[in-house]
Amino acid sequence: MSDWKTFAVPAALVLSTSAPCFGTVYFTADQAQKAIFPGATCTPWGGKLTADQKKAIEKASDLRLRKDPQVWRVAGGGWFIVDEVLGKHEYITFAVGLTASGAVKQIEIMEYRESYGGEVRDAKWRAQFTGKTAKDPLRLDQDVKNISGATLSSRHVTEGVRRACALYDIALK
Amino acid sequence: MTSRSSEVRRARPLLGTFVEIAAGGLPEGEAHRAIEAAFAVVEEVQRRMSFHDPESMLSRLNREAARRAVQVDAWTFRVLAAAAEVHRVSEGVFDVTVAPHLQALGFLPGDAPAAAGAPFASFADVQLLPDRHVRFRRAGVCLDLGGIAKGFAVDRAVAALRRAGVPRGLVNAGGDLRVFGGEQRVAIRHPELPQAAHRSLPLRNAALATSAHYFAERWQPGQTLAPIIDPHTGQRVTQVLSATVRARQAMLADALTKVVMLRGEAALATLQHFSADAIFFTTSGEERCSPRWHAALELSS
Repeated sequence: MSDWKTFAVPAALVLSTSAPCFGTVYFTADQAQKAIFPGATCTPWGGKLTADQKKAIEKASDLRLRKDPQVWRVAGGGWFIVDEVLGKHEYITFAVGLTASGAVKQIEIMEYRESYGGEVRDAKWRAQFTGKTAKDPLRLDQDVKNISGATLSSRHVTEGVRRACALYDIALK
Repeated sequence: MTSRSSEVRRARPLLGTFVEIAAGGLPEGEAHRAIEAAFAVVEEVQRRMSFHDPESMLSRLNREAARRAVQVDAWTFRVLAAAAEVHRVSEGVFDVTVAPHLQALGFLPGDAPAAAGAPFASFADVQLLPDRHVRFRRAGVCLDLGGIAKGFAVDRAVAALRRAGVPRGLVNAGGDLRVFGGEQRVAIRHPELPQAAHRSLPLRNAALATSAHYFAERWQPGQTLAPIIDPHTGQRVTQVLSATVRARQAMLADALTKVVMLRGEAALATLQHFSADAIFFTTSGEERCSPRWHAALELSS
């Protein structure tokens, strides 16, 4: 039992000076279009949601619509929608491809960013951890691509996709 | 897509979390096709083993196996066989029949099927029979593969990437990950401050999984304690804040994190049986590393 070891260098606690901490950009809108609708031409929808439509989308999806999603019409049928959701710990831009009949074809995460803004910037809140900080070369910005940790829920993206489907039903169909 | 080296990296919401797949060393078009094939495999695992989908193989098993033997697909059977093996070696600490406890605590939807006063089931009530048949010895057994199927999906996705000719890559299902073909560094979240990392570990042709209390979600408001239940007591874990396990397969790493969360130092024999290693954090702020991994890390630093 006492075979377990401790590290000579204690656990480093590395805070980047400004939020966000972990994040990855996977796709631009153009790249996501090519991944979901290979070879197809997409043109901006050009329409605008009315206040009534927005209200109906919020009601149907049970999710607020802070910002209008970007919508493209896909040549040969289908829709390409870029939208974003804000979770408790994360901020996510995602793309969803819908078939001509409004079924979900594919979902791709475009950008994932963990943001704890207020907490991290709050010096008093941070001070409680200062004693534990060690000089560790670990940098969190561009260097950290792979993170192991408890599972973060993707529930907010699921809700965002539901909102995109509601947008189709109410404004595109 | 834009990262250095010619690596393609994509992410999709799957298995209730974010599944990230990276493929390096191939022309971009081929890398994308390989990643699509790997995502398809993860979707298939989700279709078969989801607790939440009433159409899944697992849901059918939970509905019918107390009445008659049910034949399951080869993947579901493999996961159940691995769950049985970890259950046996850990002397019952790892148990995929704790779903009723989780339901009673509000971590899983639905009502606990066990009648009031009746003892909860254990994996000893699950029979794995020839020809991929599964039968429950009694009513009230309910399986949840949430503590092992994510790792299995990672292993299947890695196999799909390799089949497609990817020389080096990574699959990360919300923190349960596996790398192949060359060393990669993986950061572990700090258990008291999950937006920061506390260690960066080199990993080569191996899997790493972490269980922890942070980010725990439940259907009802209350404390955020991870949905990890001691099958012997029905209680949630409180002594270990986070456990990270390194193993050959992600399925094993995934399952063994629960044993370390529940048993701390006493999990060492189980880890050694599977040639696995662990780092864990206790609630009193101590960090512990299993001896073999510790020696390797001290050498590499």
